[in-house]
Amino acid sequence: MTNPVIFWLIALVVIVSGLMVVLLKNIVHSALFLVVTFVGVSATYVLLQADFLAAVQILVYAGAVSILLVFGVMLTVRGDIKSSNLFNRHKLSGGVVALALFLIVERIILKTEWVLSKNPAPESTVGPIAEAMLTKFVIPFEVAAILLLVAMVGAILLAKGEGKPQ
Amino acid sequence: MLQNYAGVGVFFLIAAIFPLILLATAWLVRPKRPSPEKLSTYECGLETQGPTWVQFKISYFLYALIFVIFDVETVFLYPWAVKFQALTLFAFVEMIIFIGILVIGLWYAWKEGALEWL
Amino acid sequence: MELVMSLSIEILTAILATGLLIIGLVTPKDQRRGIGYLTTAGLLGILGATLFMNNVDKTLLDGMYIIDPYSTFFKQLFLLAAILVSVGSYDYIRRLGYNQGEYFSLLVYATLGMMILASAGDLITLYLGLELMTITFFILTAYRKKDAKSSEAGIKYVILGAMSSAVLLYGLSLIYGATGTTVIKDIAAALQQDIQPIMLLGTIFVLVGFGFKISAVPFHMWSPDIYEGAPTPVTGFLAVASKAAGFAAMIRLFIIALPALQSYWVVIVMVLAAFTVLFGNFVAIPQTNIKRLLAYSSIAQAGYLLFGLVAYSALGVAAILFHSILYVFANLGAFIVVIAFGNHTGSDEIKDYSGLARRSPLMAAVMLLSLLSLAGIPPLAGFVSKFYLFTSIIDKGYFWLAFVGIGMSMVSVYYYLVVVKVMYMGEPPEDSEPIKLPVSIQAALYVTMFITVFFGIYPSPLTNVALSVAKAFFPF
Repeated sequence: MTNPVIFWLIALVVIVSGLMVVLLKNIVHSALFLVVTFVGVSATYVLLQADFLAAVQILVYAGAVSILLVFGVMLTVRGDIKSSNLFNRHKLSGGVVALALFLIVERIILKTEWVLSKNPAPESTVGPIAEAMLTKFVIPFEVAAILLLVAMVGAILLAKGEGKPQ
Repeated sequence: MLQNYAGVGVFFLIAAIFPLILLATAWLVRPKRPSPEKLSTYECGLETQGPTWVQFKISYFLYALIFVIFDVETVFLYPWAVKFQALTLFAFVEMIIFIGILVIGLWYAWKEGALEWL
Repeated sequence: MELVMSLSIEILTAILATGLLIIGLVTPKDQRRGIGYLTTAGLLGILGATLFMNNVDKTLLDGMYIIDPYSTFFKQLFLLAAILVSVGSYDYIRRLGYNQGEYFSLLVYATLGMMILASAGDLITLYLGLELMTITFFILTAYRKKDAKSSEAGIKYVILGAMSSAVLLYGLSLIYGATGTTVIKDIAAALQQDIQPIMLLGTIFVLVGFGFKISAVPFHMWSPDIYEGAPTPVTGFLAVASKAAGFAAMIRLFIIALPALQSYWVVIVMVLAAFTVLFGNFVAIPQTNIKRLLAYSSIAQAGYLLFGLVAYSALGVAAILFHSILYVFANLGAFIVVIAFGNHTGSDEIKDYSGLARRSPLMAAVMLLSLLSLAGIPPLAGFVSKFYLFTSIIDKGYFWLAFVGIGMSMVSVYYYLVVVKVMYMGEPPEDSEPIKLPVSIQAALYVTMFITVFFGIYPSPLTNVALSVAKAFFPF
């Protein structure tokens, strides 16, 4: 069992940076705080002894997705970058709904008796993932490849300029 | 297993604190005499002309996109490579199909000019 | 090897889609017209192959993937819809003038996603199938890049679709957390003991996620704008096949995995169904754009389909299967008319349909029969399927819901007849000439018209198939 202090510290980082993503007015700052959130989530994976997943989180989310996000921001034209991530008129109602949802989910999570696994954590997490992925989960695995292909084709299709010679 | 990561955690902590200490010391000992010239934005020795937030080329985005997709592919490849010795021929064929599908994607990107810097 | 044999339909579909993509890449730009015909031929071939799978009942990889008559039924439905849509797309896409190979390839990939959704035996496969379908539709919706409405529809669909996927995924993860398994039939086994409150939350989230995908009120707000903005063939496919795929997965998940929570979710589904039917029909009345009208009518149809889930019986599931087949033909019949009309005149406004009966008797007739079938007028097929749906809920004692359904069907007759009146009583514009239809469109129109009338007069073959397929869910 790890020290709960470490968990709460990481949780605090994740939540505060997550709030910053939404609350900051400059979308570039939001994007940077999103990276902090990703790294924080990866730290919770380490606490859960899922080291491979933590590495994936860093590699894909903090590494690649955030770059995509920043490039996406670079593509947009905005007069004033300082006010590029604004609230709409439904600030209050949105807050109320979010709070209500949080309270409901929180109540139910605390009321539930969770089943905890009694098995010790595996020494290596990569091996079992490879075995599961290539035997039992073979169909989702191949579908994931097709999904990536479709995503790539679609993104190129939509992002590419018109009337360019092929 | 978790203990192995304690070292990494300490390393990160020190790496985060050390520059802060350096900056704080510099802030403490340096003389403070600001002037408008010093506070202006520095860009290659010239004054900034026009708005700095301009639209960048779409090519950046396309590159990042293809990068993300192959980054995800790496995630799938890694466990396969680790367990390569223990896996069956079936698993090998599966991975060949997986890579094959993504190579078609790369071919598409190439052919459609997503990799060109125009 | 046995695995490959069992998955032959999916593998063939994947090969067809990838093949079309490659052919689109290697053929010169002016010779890509054939790709559309190739798509239809390939899909017809796969449809032929599914006929050999009708009696296969197999569970692969410890319940991860299920090939049973139920999934095969839905696969045939998706293939039929894809064939009709591909036929309807030839001219539309040629007019667009770019990326024909990709369009047809994405169409087939979307079909593949739906197939996986219908066959998924565990939550991860289900989610990936759903994402494959949804992401493909994001792209297809925004396909008319120069058109602001199409781009707007694409953006709206991406944001709302991602949001709904997130809700669904959270629900699925809660179910996994509470039961410790992602395999659908093992979830039911894990729920034999007492039910944790978290299961309820998970079920509600999953219901909301699926509610988005099948556009049930109050999660419908994305659909009219997107249906209007998307290219018309895509709208047809989206309205028909993606909805049927959502139902396919939803029925399996709720009836097989969550019977223990049935008393809870039935109430929610019932309320959703009632609201969907009421709202869809009432808001359809003032519409002036035919695509928006069909969008609201398809929201209402989703509500009728939910009745079958409320009934929670073999008859209810059979009625859903029956209704979805007829819905495919009736709705796609109407959409192909809209596509052909749009190709000819460039308009989707109902007032421009004035005097269509004189300009093209075939188009007007198909539109008439399709709309009346959707309204549920005898002797058309829509009457039979609505009759089954209402019977299934009356059997369970939900009289008020059947009453709402029947009353709203009356309302729907009104707005469908407004279109019919414009087509038959209105005067064609001064300078108009008869609309000449390509042979392919004519053939598709005749097929939809024939099926709509045939199963209305002689429904028993389809009824028997639907009932025997639905029996698998309620063997008792």
